[in-house]
Amino acid sequence: MSDGTGRIARGLALPVALLVVWQAWGVASASPRTPVPTHIVRAAIDLIGSGDLPLAIAQSLGRVFAGFAVAAVIAIPLGLAMGASRAVERNVDPVVESFRPIAAIAILPLAILWLGTGTPAAVLIVAYAAFFPIVVNTVAGAKRISPTLLRAAATMGLSRFATMRTVIVPGALPAIGVGLRIGMGVAWTAIVAAELAVGAKAGGGGSGGIGAMMFIFYAYSIELNRIVVCMIAVGLVALVLDRGLRAMMRRLMPWSAP
Amino acid sequence: MSAAASARGDAQRRIDEQHTSSAKLRLQHIAKRFGVQGVAQTVAVEDFTLDVAPGEFLVIVGPSGCGKTTILNVLAGLEQPSAGRALIDERPIAGPGPERGVMFQDYALFPWQTVWGNVEFGLRHGPAGDGLDAAARSDRARSTIELVGLTGSEQKYPHQLSGGMRQRVALARLIANEPQVLLMDEPLAALDAQTRLILQDELLRIWGQDRSAAERRTVVFITHAIDEAVFLADRVAVMTAHPGRLKAIIDVALPRPRNDATRADPQFQALCQHIWSLIRDEAYRATVA
Repeated sequence: MSDGTGRIARGLALPVALLVVWQAWGVASASPRTPVPTHIVRAAIDLIGSGDLPLAIAQSLGRVFAGFAVAAVIAIPLGLAMGASRAVERNVDPVVESFRPIAAIAILPLAILWLGTGTPAAVLIVAYAAFFPIVVNTVAGAKRISPTLLRAAATMGLSRFATMRTVIVPGALPAIGVGLRIGMGVAWTAIVAAELAVGAKAGGGGSGGIGAMMFIFYAYSIELNRIVVCMIAVGLVALVLDRGLRAMMRRLMPWSAP
Repeated sequence: MSAAASARGDAQRRIDEQHTSSAKLRLQHIAKRFGVQGVAQTVAVEDFTLDVAPGEFLVIVGPSGCGKTTILNVLAGLEQPSAGRALIDERPIAGPGPERGVMFQDYALFPWQTVWGNVEFGLRHGPAGDGLDAAARSDRARSTIELVGLTGSEQKYPHQLSGGMRQRVALARLIANEPQVLLMDEPLAALDAQTRLILQDELLRIWGQDRSAAERRTVVFITHAIDEAVFLADRVAVMTAHPGRLKAIIDVALPRPRNDATRADPQFQALCQHIWSLIRDEAYRATVA
């Protein structure tokens, strides 16, 4: 056995052992409320094969992208303006900071009452959730730009707008990237919560999405194995989204050393 | 200062201006203090008065902490003096302007721009490129990059370059903008000795030492290399530290164009010796302290 495979084997030992214990416990308990690894695998195959899980994920992703886009389109310009101008920051920062502690899920009642139990309410909640990490990081990025770079731009006679476009935006880009990644994670968390709650309100999951699907498995047909499949899917999708954003940022910022 | 005294000062200043020939840059009784008045106040520069003629190559030398960079920043419009006036073409300097190009001590390169992007930056985004089409901008960038010996590195980012190469990018960016006044803060300090000599020659060429004085740009250049100061300068302003003051102005009457023969000239050696004698005591004190 080579050294590399040895290391992999040692790394896998604990997870495999845990799975075996879990499986044994599930089989022994024989309760429908105990999820069991082999049943989870079967449930996953069923849900993917029927197309239900891919459809639910697609619906949720659509809402996340819409809400995320709305958040980014508002938060990035606002954050740049706050970072570049003391006056703007003084006025806007107290408003942002007083809303920031209010969790996205806390505005759910308003969202449902205003927009119903469909996609618009979910998009609003996602946008609200993603807005704060994006704006806070953008402000920090715009403020952290080296003063000598701003001086260099000033001595070359750049207008305010040109300085914003050619110095502040690229200088803040790494921080904006961090904000977008955190925002995307928060957006994905928010959509599951929102769909769970909206699903409850809609009564029967007409609203769709991965969260509503989990609600059905929880409230109507108690199927823990399927809920676990949904949880794993949520985690995997989040990982893919984050890696995608990271790759995109690397492409946008070829100057930042890896 | 009372209003009457101030009015008298202004009147005197007007008379002074009538009597001296027009200067490109004027520094009149410049002082720069940091901190709260009286309490722990640091005086960076005290009563600094100097005119720079159009087309003059002025070099400022002095020990660390003598306020050389402060003087340059005042001329650039990046710092306001605590007292005194700074003028360009007899108008007060209110802020930075594209007619005064600055080469910063820490280069101030844009990390997200390649060598090419940095050199072309002012032409693309600032008024230096007004009236130039894309082809003319590219030509300017290409020839400037060639001038500083960075051909082949156009697509590299600053973090991929050595300190000396970064300094050459900063120099190229300044030159590409072709400002009337070049303000340079130790622009050759990070270069190896050979490159430094080559770029001193190039700098004189860019400044226009082969052209008539009327066609030359105006340069204010900071260095602490005395031989560099003498080689380049029409005049060398020698400063002392704590507080920063102008100690002497030395005329460098060496013939132009200057070249390698200049460095062997006994007059060149004598001038270096003389300037060294002016700052030696302070330099020793700074080293021991």
